[in-house]
Amino acid sequence: MSRVLIVAKSEFLTLVKTKAFIISIILMPVLMGAFFLFMSFAARNIDVETRPFAVIDGTGVLFEPLRAAATVRNAQAITDGERTGPEFVPSKVATDMRSSDDLKLELSEQVRTKKLFAFVEIPADVITATGGGVSSVRYYAENTTYEPLPRWLQAALNEEITKLRFDGAGIDQDLIARLNTRIPLSTFGLVERTTDGTVTEAVEVDELARALVPGFFLILMFMTVMTSAQHLLNAIIEEKMSKISEVLLGSVTPVQLLMGKLFGVVGVALLLTFVYFSGALYALFSSGRWDLFDPALLAWFVVFVVCAALLYGSVFLALGSACSDLKDAQSMMQPAIILLLLAYMGSFVVIQNPESNIAIGMSFFPTMTPFAMMLRMAMPPGPPMWHVLLSLAGLIGTTAFCLWAASRIFRVGILMQGKAPTLPELLKWIRA
Amino acid sequence: MNAIAVQGISKRFGEHQAVDEVSITVPKGSIYGFIGPNGSGKTTTIRMIMNILVPDSGTVSVLGHTRASDFRDDVGYLPEERGLYKKMTVGRVLRYYGQLKGKPITEIDKEMKEWLARLQLSDWADKKVEQLSKGMAQKVQFIASVISQPELLILDEPFSGLDPVNAEALKDAVLELRSRGTTIVFSTHDMNAAERLCERIFMIFKGRTVLDGTLDEIQKEYALDTVRVRVTGGAPMLTGLPSVESVNDHGNYQDVRLTGDPQAFLQQLVQKTAVQQFEIKKPSLHDIFVRIARPAEADLTAAALGAN
Repeated sequence: MSRVLIVAKSEFLTLVKTKAFIISIILMPVLMGAFFLFMSFAARNIDVETRPFAVIDGTGVLFEPLRAAATVRNAQAITDGERTGPEFVPSKVATDMRSSDDLKLELSEQVRTKKLFAFVEIPADVITATGGGVSSVRYYAENTTYEPLPRWLQAALNEEITKLRFDGAGIDQDLIARLNTRIPLSTFGLVERTTDGTVTEAVEVDELARALVPGFFLILMFMTVMTSAQHLLNAIIEEKMSKISEVLLGSVTPVQLLMGKLFGVVGVALLLTFVYFSGALYALFSSGRWDLFDPALLAWFVVFVVCAALLYGSVFLALGSACSDLKDAQSMMQPAIILLLLAYMGSFVVIQNPESNIAIGMSFFPTMTPFAMMLRMAMPPGPPMWHVLLSLAGLIGTTAFCLWAASRIFRVGILMQGKAPTLPELLKWIRA
Repeated sequence: MNAIAVQGISKRFGEHQAVDEVSITVPKGSIYGFIGPNGSGKTTTIRMIMNILVPDSGTVSVLGHTRASDFRDDVGYLPEERGLYKKMTVGRVLRYYGQLKGKPITEIDKEMKEWLARLQLSDWADKKVEQLSKGMAQKVQFIASVISQPELLILDEPFSGLDPVNAEALKDAVLELRSRGTTIVFSTHDMNAAERLCERIFMIFKGRTVLDGTLDEIQKEYALDTVRVRVTGGAPMLTGLPSVESVNDHGNYQDVRLTGDPQAFLQQLVQKTAVQQFEIKKPSLHDIFVRIARPAEADLTAAALGAN
């Protein structure tokens, strides 16, 4: 046993001391945080330009209200004396008896020469026309992917036109707004009676609990398994390419070597879990969302992440031991990677509806159990306990089988050089 | 007591019989040379002794134990294909290998310091392996195999690829270990080293034992059939004599391999020409090796011709 621990310790230290690992464990959250900060900063600051646009107002009554709306909007885009959004500056175009085409040509030229950002043509019948014959307001711009201006124009014009229509029909628009007030719908969990007979308050389900917590579990599980498996693969290939394996086999048995390596990456998986959970708990603590922390879920996560690291680790290690160089290993790895990606991608189905038959089925499929069952447990109402235990039994059984098969392949593979074996050959090694 | 007692071990890989009924006995405290051409089964035999491969038949006992877990810690092993972790420091690699043999860190560190100093590597303990030259790395590999102070040391081609200075340093180290009582088995292609260092020589060829004994015993066995002669008329005078198997003509003298008694050959020769020199030659290990292994090349050539 002590030899297994010596190998495990060396493997653990080798991995956690690599630059790649340090970057992934420390820099990754920092980078992600920085990315979100940048995104929110960029969203607020990216567009503070003045956007002059011309209005060909066929109705003759919409320009003034539009200018007033633009003034209000521009005032809102200033926070603490600093501009945080674009400034929309409408100008009215005098038609001067010119033909519509001439006018539009001239305005297009002005857009090209950057005197204008865009121009908009409001048809004369836009207020009166209803039903199928509504004319559309036409927005012309060089930069047609720029969204804020046309979006605002559409909203502002529609509001004004609706108001004019109601006024024309002699209806009080405020009354309409009051009568049309929409009611919100909030989602709650179920009401329960506690042991002392009182009825518990149903808990309002918020989006954070619904998506963020399972998403966190999913990403952490995937990252941990991927880091561990990838490291094992590289380590075993290095040992084979640098001819270290046989030196080690003079001191330990292949099974001790295999188990030592796997325990090493289980240690790494637990370290990653610890670091990221500490971060998550800190975030929950500082945002006052302690209610989202469930120690039982954390404990289950540890169980599943250990099983996943062992399961995928043993598969990667066995396949890696059968290859003599990284190129061979990469093609050999593909089925295992696909299995892992399937488990990861499939989990999004579980997030959408954790109680669907497909989600339940996936949570019982051993290679997917660590992902799918974890998600089902992290989302209300949660699976019945027998589901969890049965899937865990399947997972442990499969992991044990993979460890056994891996040790058989490893024993032969680690001394092999040259061509990578075919699948039938691998099966022969297992049966030998 | 014997350090190694191997009884009739065989190993087959698919169609290829790598080792066939080989038996070896290595007395404790001896230096045992393991020779044989490439692909003759040396490494497979060593791997079976180390329990890295399991023999199809036969028994292996090392230091009196048949279970590998009972002897593994007392055996140092330097495989032919050996390597070090490039990113680790020399000190960390040696500690790791020492710990895998169950030695406490304090003992490992003491031993490591001594060996690094002896092989002029003291300044390199904290350097990464990738910074070492090839010769230095080989010396570190050697230290890795002896750092646990093993009772039995198995070295597979320890001198291959070393420059003469480093090879000499390693040979001295081997002799030093021998004087401390370590039993040493090493395989080599370097016949001079084998002749100089080994008390007993074992040769395996095509998976079978072909030589096993002290150098004297082996030389005696092969001595009688080669004579060096200098005769009037040179090499042509030797052809056609009944017991001559082959003649190696060196110009002024000839080495003649005989199938019969050298004395009878001398009588035949005296009747034919004047004999200036007649010497029953003590063959070198190299000669014996070549004599045993050469037919393999002939077989290979025949096989190649057949294939064409």
